[in-house]
Amino acid sequence: MSNVLRPYLAAVRSTLTAALTLENFPSQLVERHNKPEVECGTSKEVLLNPLMISRNENERVLIEPSVNSIRLSIKIKQADEIERILCHKFTRFMMQRAESFIVLRRKPVKGYDISFLITNTHTETMLKHKIVDFIIQFMEEVDKEISEMKLSLNSRARIVAESYLTAFNT
Amino acid sequence: MSVLAPIICDNGTGYSKIGFAGNSDPSFVFPTAIATRGQAAQASRAGPQIPSKPGHLASKRGVEDLDFFIGDEALANAKTPGYGVHYPIRHGMIENWDHMERYWEQTIFKYLRAEPEDHYFLLTEPPLNPPENREQTAEIFFESFNIKGLYIAVQAVLALAASWSSNRVTDRTLTGTVIDSGDGVTHVIPCAEGYVIGSAIKHIPIAGRDISQFVLNLLRERGEMAAVPPEDQLRVAGKVKENYSYVCQDIVKEFRKYDAEPYKYFERFEGEHSVTNRKYGIDVGYERFLAPEIFFNPEIYSSDFLTPLPEIVDDVIQQSPIDVRRGLYKNIVLSGGSTMFQHFGQRLKRDLKQLVDRRLDTGTGAQKSSGVEVDVISHKRQRYAVWYGGSLMASLPDFYSFCHTKEQYDEIGPSICRRYQIFGSAT
Amino acid sequence: MILLEPHNTIIVTTLNDKLLKPATLDVQFVDYDGVRFHLSTPDRKVANIIHLSMNIRCWNELVRYGANEVLQREYGSLILDAPEADYNVTLQLDLEQIPQDQESRDAFIMSIALFKRNALAAPFERAFETQKELESSSSTSEGDLMEIHYRDEEAIYIRAAADRVTVIFSTQFKEETDRIFGKVFLQEFVDARRQPSCQNAPQVLYNNREPPLELRHLSGLQNTEDTGYVTFVLFPRHFGNATTAGGTISHIQLFRDYLHYHIKCSKAYMHSRMRHRVAEFQKVLNRAKTEVATTDRKTASGRTMLVR
Repeated sequence: MSNVLRPYLAAVRSTLTAALTLENFPSQLVERHNKPEVECGTSKEVLLNPLMISRNENERVLIEPSVNSIRLSIKIKQADEIERILCHKFTRFMMQRAESFIVLRRKPVKGYDISFLITNTHTETMLKHKIVDFIIQFMEEVDKEISEMKLSLNSRARIVAESYLTAFNT
Repeated sequence: MSVLAPIICDNGTGYSKIGFAGNSDPSFVFPTAIATRGQAAQASRAGPQIPSKPGHLASKRGVEDLDFFIGDEALANAKTPGYGVHYPIRHGMIENWDHMERYWEQTIFKYLRAEPEDHYFLLTEPPLNPPENREQTAEIFFESFNIKGLYIAVQAVLALAASWSSNRVTDRTLTGTVIDSGDGVTHVIPCAEGYVIGSAIKHIPIAGRDISQFVLNLLRERGEMAAVPPEDQLRVAGKVKENYSYVCQDIVKEFRKYDAEPYKYFERFEGEHSVTNRKYGIDVGYERFLAPEIFFNPEIYSSDFLTPLPEIVDDVIQQSPIDVRRGLYKNIVLSGGSTMFQHFGQRLKRDLKQLVDRRLDTGTGAQKSSGVEVDVISHKRQRYAVWYGGSLMASLPDFYSFCHTKEQYDEIGPSICRRYQIFGSAT
Repeated sequence: MILLEPHNTIIVTTLNDKLLKPATLDVQFVDYDGVRFHLSTPDRKVANIIHLSMNIRCWNELVRYGANEVLQREYGSLILDAPEADYNVTLQLDLEQIPQDQESRDAFIMSIALFKRNALAAPFERAFETQKELESSSSTSEGDLMEIHYRDEEAIYIRAAADRVTVIFSTQFKEETDRIFGKVFLQEFVDARRQPSCQNAPQVLYNNREPPLELRHLSGLQNTEDTGYVTFVLFPRHFGNATTAGGTISHIQLFRDYLHYHIKCSKAYMHSRMRHRVAEFQKVLNRAKTEVATTDRKTASGRTMLVR
């Protein structure tokens, strides 16, 4: 982890840990329903204040807590067109496999690249600090992955161009 | 603008059949094998190599993933140091998507020489393929290759469609029982109006490979194989199976016939050693009719699987919903190389008919059944029936309207491929 | 496989097959850029006479630039006077006339497999000749601009001058990702000349949207974000003698396909990276799961129920 990123991730980690205090909470409106309140937003009194942790305008995290679920949305750094498309591809690829990432939301919240939805069932069946670890590790590595992909694309392009042009000499 | 022919890709466990719609044979049939650099063990941990700093061209670092061979070339390079051969499809389903994606990449660009952006594709899938696999396939074809449109068809249904080419088939129906026997395993698959009845499918662990092994055993027992070098024996057995075997109607009579006039029925197989070119020859006898007999009397080969094929077919149909059973008995379609034996269809029909009639006779009561029509259809395109069925379907003008197009994919995403539309059937 | 091959594999394999065991034949297949082939035995009884027909989208343009002469030179009497309906040109092969020894047989089949390459070579060859004429007459004028609309929305423009031949490809990317990847690749083509190994390569220029000066006067050019123009400047050293000229032609023809092939390969590579990365993330998340003791649930008949 680079040093510049550390305070940002530390802030997300502590906020998220604090926010992950969830309890079972059946719907107040429909009998025998039990829904993530942050998603349906039908009873205002169980929603808590959303919180945004922002490193700069391109990198930020939105945490929306509620009584039985929290939603965490990440905006990933995108410096240029290439990073934008790679980021889009990567998050879409991952959300396509949301089935196996229990806490992943299939669609990001508007204005963000990827969202997670953690409900009380998740915190009950899984280790809470490990879930936080996962989110932090994801944030750490997604930046790295995207810049590596960009690098490899550039180096591929160079090799491809060189091999094509050197073939003219023979 | 004239529309370019759709590409039909039938990737099986053993072989891939690839070609253009409208043709009667696939342009390429080669093993579904890929030889990549780096041995199999390393792949799991390190993942795709991260290209190091772009350096000198000679090393070509950063494009290691282009260094691979597929099909026959893969097997030819199996011994080259540094390459390892992988089979991305197991039991009909794709297991290694990385390898499969690259396999397709080279199929399209090196062998077919087609610009995927200009073509529609018809792919095949085994019955009971999980929808996630279809989504992943769609993801590869639409995102990596930008293809125009995609249709994923179930192999068994295409095999049914292939039987329309037989002149005995009058109505183009997609109801029937498919017996698909390839190299590894034999499936009996009932289809009703284009949909596979998944709960009734049965597998038989006897197929091409076992027949070759059985022929080899027989030849060894008779001492014929003594002249054949050990490394060629299985290949010779395979050739004997392909070239001389047929299905007899009565095993005992056939034995007598052979014993009475051995010279009339015994065949001579001439071979050549693959390395030294030394000639050798063997006499092919009872193997000729015993080889395919293991479908009808499995006890002569295996000790753990004992149910004959006609009984399995009967079981499968009896497990299907009652209202389609007649259709299933009436249209039993053969597909795959191991159903190519002469008279295979007749024998199956006769045995099955006997089974059915016996059951009808035991039925008591006032009403007498009007009888059940049993028919087994063999046709000329049996070997690559699935591919041929695909070629036939894709050359119908309707085909394009049933494809999932790139626009739809961009709009909705890979989940469009969960929907599956049947077409082409006259009923 | 980094470079694409100029010959058509299907032609090679099919002809080799038929030489081993002659049989009737009727197949249709394609090559890059929408070229269609039809390989058939027109007479069912005579299996040794094979027709190979080709349909190229820009055939009329190619004829104008001398494709007939080039094909005549390459295939001579093999060309039928009247091509098959729906195709532009037909070759007639007699399997019995094919040379017997392996080496010349391979060479013959390879020459057939280069059918498309040869047809498309005509405008290039003409440009190379024009350059020679202009050079010897030391005139400053330029040859005619040759246009080959080899795809629906893309074209090749070739113009000869006294000291060089300019080949311009108009490119069109249908998809956002392709466009961005394509830009990265094309930029590297432009920059590659700085590498010592590419010093002798043709000069490459790339314009996005704006057509280069040579094409400004043409009407009907697309001018959107998706279009680009790639200019190759070939110098006499690239087509000085017949062998290098031949190599250059086979090579430059496949530029577009080469570019798109590699864009697709890169996407496939990205996919395999993402698969790997996602699997890693999955492992991290799985560490969070606690072990849940599973008890076997039985149905009434005593069979085990499986939760899948």
